[in-house]
Amino acid sequence: MASLTLRGITKRFGRTEVIRGVDLDVKDGEFVVFVGPSGCGKSTLLRMIAGLEDISGGELRLDGRLMNEVQPAKRGVAMVFQSYALYPHLTVRDNMAFGLKVRGVSLPDRLKQVEAAADTLKLGALLDRYPRELSGGQRQRVAIGRAIVGEPQVFLFDEPLSNLDAELRVHMRSEIAALHKRLGTTMIYVTHDQIEAMTLADRIVVLRDGLVEQVGTPRELYENPFNLFVAQFIGSPKMNILPVAAVRLPAPAGAVKVGLRPEDLRIVAPGAGVVDGTVVHAEYTGAASLVHVGLDGGETCLVVCQGDGPGDGARVGLGCEVGRVRWFGDSGQAVSQS
Amino acid sequence: MSEFLTPRRLALISRICWTSALCVVAIPFLFPFLWMITSGVKSAAEIFGAPSLIPRHWQWHNYVEVFTYQPFARQYFNSLYISLSVTVLTLLFASLAGYALARMRFAGAAMVGLFLVSALMVPEEVTIIPNFFLMKWLGLIDTHVPLILLPVFGPHGIVATFLMRQYFMALPKELEEAGRMDGLSRLGVWWQVAIPLSKPALAAVAIITFLHSWNLFLEPLIFVSSLEKFTLPLALTNFTDPYGVPLWHLQLAATSLAVVPILIVYLIAQRQIIESFALSGVKG
Amino acid sequence: MPRPATVPMANDDPPWLSLKMREAMEAWLFLGPTLAGFLIFFAGPLVAVVGYSMTEWNLLSQQSTFVGLKNYSHALTENPDFWLVVRNSAIFALGLVPANMALALALAIALSRPFRGVVVFRTVFFAPVVTSAAAWAIVWKFLLQGEAGFVNQMLAYVGIAGPNWLREPNWAMVAVIATRVIKMVGLNMILYIAALQAIPRDYEAAARLEGASSWQIFTGITWPLLGPTTLVIMVITTIGSFKVFDHIYLMTGGGPENGTLVLAFAIYEQGFKFFNVGYASALAMIMFVIVMGLTLVQLAVRRRDT
Repeated sequence: MASLTLRGITKRFGRTEVIRGVDLDVKDGEFVVFVGPSGCGKSTLLRMIAGLEDISGGELRLDGRLMNEVQPAKRGVAMVFQSYALYPHLTVRDNMAFGLKVRGVSLPDRLKQVEAAADTLKLGALLDRYPRELSGGQRQRVAIGRAIVGEPQVFLFDEPLSNLDAELRVHMRSEIAALHKRLGTTMIYVTHDQIEAMTLADRIVVLRDGLVEQVGTPRELYENPFNLFVAQFIGSPKMNILPVAAVRLPAPAGAVKVGLRPEDLRIVAPGAGVVDGTVVHAEYTGAASLVHVGLDGGETCLVVCQGDGPGDGARVGLGCEVGRVRWFGDSGQAVSQS
Repeated sequence: MSEFLTPRRLALISRICWTSALCVVAIPFLFPFLWMITSGVKSAAEIFGAPSLIPRHWQWHNYVEVFTYQPFARQYFNSLYISLSVTVLTLLFASLAGYALARMRFAGAAMVGLFLVSALMVPEEVTIIPNFFLMKWLGLIDTHVPLILLPVFGPHGIVATFLMRQYFMALPKELEEAGRMDGLSRLGVWWQVAIPLSKPALAAVAIITFLHSWNLFLEPLIFVSSLEKFTLPLALTNFTDPYGVPLWHLQLAATSLAVVPILIVYLIAQRQIIESFALSGVKG
Repeated sequence: MPRPATVPMANDDPPWLSLKMREAMEAWLFLGPTLAGFLIFFAGPLVAVVGYSMTEWNLLSQQSTFVGLKNYSHALTENPDFWLVVRNSAIFALGLVPANMALALALAIALSRPFRGVVVFRTVFFAPVVTSAAAWAIVWKFLLQGEAGFVNQMLAYVGIAGPNWLREPNWAMVAVIATRVIKMVGLNMILYIAALQAIPRDYEAAARLEGASSWQIFTGITWPLLGPTTLVIMVITTIGSFKVFDHIYLMTGGGPENGTLVLAFAIYEQGFKFFNVGYASALAMIMFVIVMGLTLVQLAVRRRDT
């Protein structure tokens, strides 16, 4: 197990800089999730940690050792790929043992370690099959098995669940969380799905355009986003962003935008809340309804409403606890209430 | 009348017409093979007697004479081992270079690709004269070395390189990255991951390369002069009497011996072979 | 905590090669044999042939003198054989390419849809492609003999007195083109079949619903969609026609009366029979320019279309 340190990491492809100076400290045994929209550089950053992409600038350290120019296999990291990357011409057993074989581990030891990893992941019955004979979920599990068999110090996951259907994704998510609890190994996990990030992470790193926007626990990101981007990226449905003038609240100095989470708003009588509008359309989802409210200023505001919402065309007011309102300055940075 | 010509019958008639037309067109494609095989067991006189496909007198002796007239067995072996050498070397070098072009990042990659493409534009005939002097200078005239090296590194080898590159580029990249995470060197990834996954491309390259070398004519004609070093296509032309008049029956028997094994392999693997050519044709 | 034995750790000294340099070095090693062969057997000879083409060099006299562009100007203005070669090559290409392509397309259309026996026909039409040109030429040379040849004997049955195919200049050209077409048409046929099968069947179904006839479908949909394939096939076949050597060498030897003396054969004859290295090299350069021109045209048109 190991800690990981990134200092001023940059990556250039030709003239375009895709990673523009990332600093990060990952503690031993921590589960860190890189999240961000596509093209933000999260996968590139992960691949740089793996050694699959060379590092254009900055320092990468594992347990204090400089890793910039170390071959991928000698870094003590293992990776689970998005497409699983199982060798189609090898059985599950040989897939899992392949890395050990390359490293010169003896056959009895190889078999022992593969069996142990297979037990952990309940893969015993699949060991003699070929990848094409496995379901998506089984392949996923084998890919994880291949990673743990070498007992790496850091696990890297590159969007491992994005090829699974929704139900299986939820299931594998909990398995990965359980695996982390059991092994206690440092894990770095890339996803574009903020729910995955929120549920798995000890800490989340939000990336945009090759820069870190914010690092923090899921709760910190949700409660105290540093800026508009993080505020809108974390949380579902997305936070409503309105001009300060649209709401009847005392704005702090410097604030130009106000953020209201749909789940913090509640429907009240017109005039009784912070803003008024007309219901345009309500989506019933069972436990709650998503109510689209056309505000008088012209903006649309989304409200999560327990049970049935008001009918289309109803005049409503929207209320919110003052403590849940977020304020943002003209460059998008968060402005505190006090 | 219209009751007779139901749409179903009309379709049947049109199909019969089509098939008959195709059969007629097929005659000049098929007949030379049949005639070659049956004439190989005719006497010289009968070949140019009244036209017939089936020999009146089966002269199996032709096939013995083919081997005594000139060292035909040796020439057969020459073709076989030269074509196999060319195939193995082409597979090796084309897959190595193709892999580097497909997967590896280095300064000048685009330049190298462009250089190699330029070789596709230049027929062997253009460079054959300097290559002759090069081989002469190296003392390799009347050896098999030019017959092996020139196809491997000539335009054909470049076509093979680009075919391999194309195929490698379509392989899932993550598999090779998994190989590197597992501790393989570049060469290890190439040999243990990329090559096992590229069997269809390797088979296609092997097929077109073997046939290319097997059928080569200009190069043997220029580089080889002693009988026991001839390859098959050249040997076939050499069944003549001292005045240069062809010994027809022997020539046709020998040609049958050269062509029939290839045809048998072709009939067994026609699908694979035709696809290989389609692949290289689209590329070239 | 003890580290697992299976994961070797790097030491703290930076390696003497960065990962990036290492990758580049490995790439050059992978490319090494191919690049070396390219330089020795292609690039070098290509430069040499330019040089040779500017010398007067007869192998028998073992002397070479620099003459500049004299070989070229001699060919263009004085040597009547040169224009004969050009004419023959042009006739050969103009005869071979359209015949080959038309037959290939017709066969491809007939064989692009599955029916009973389609594989047999495809196999038959493609068989000459895998056969050596030497064997093919030898057999056809027999079949096309004057009176005793099989073709003329068959023609005699229906009352036609066939010409002495390979001994009369014009007929020799016809015979050489026709047998070459039969030999190579299978290749273009499968390229066309692949292209035809890549056209979505929905297009045809939609056109049929709108009442289009088969001919309208062909001219309005199929033929335009085959455009890129047709271009590629045309260029490949034209280049191939300029490279034909073994076929001519074995069937006619460039004769009769130089009636089938084409470019590739002339290079061989001048270089390796008459030992006029300079002149042969000039011819090789002309071939190079023609083939390169055709390839560039193809690339240009392809780029314009995409």
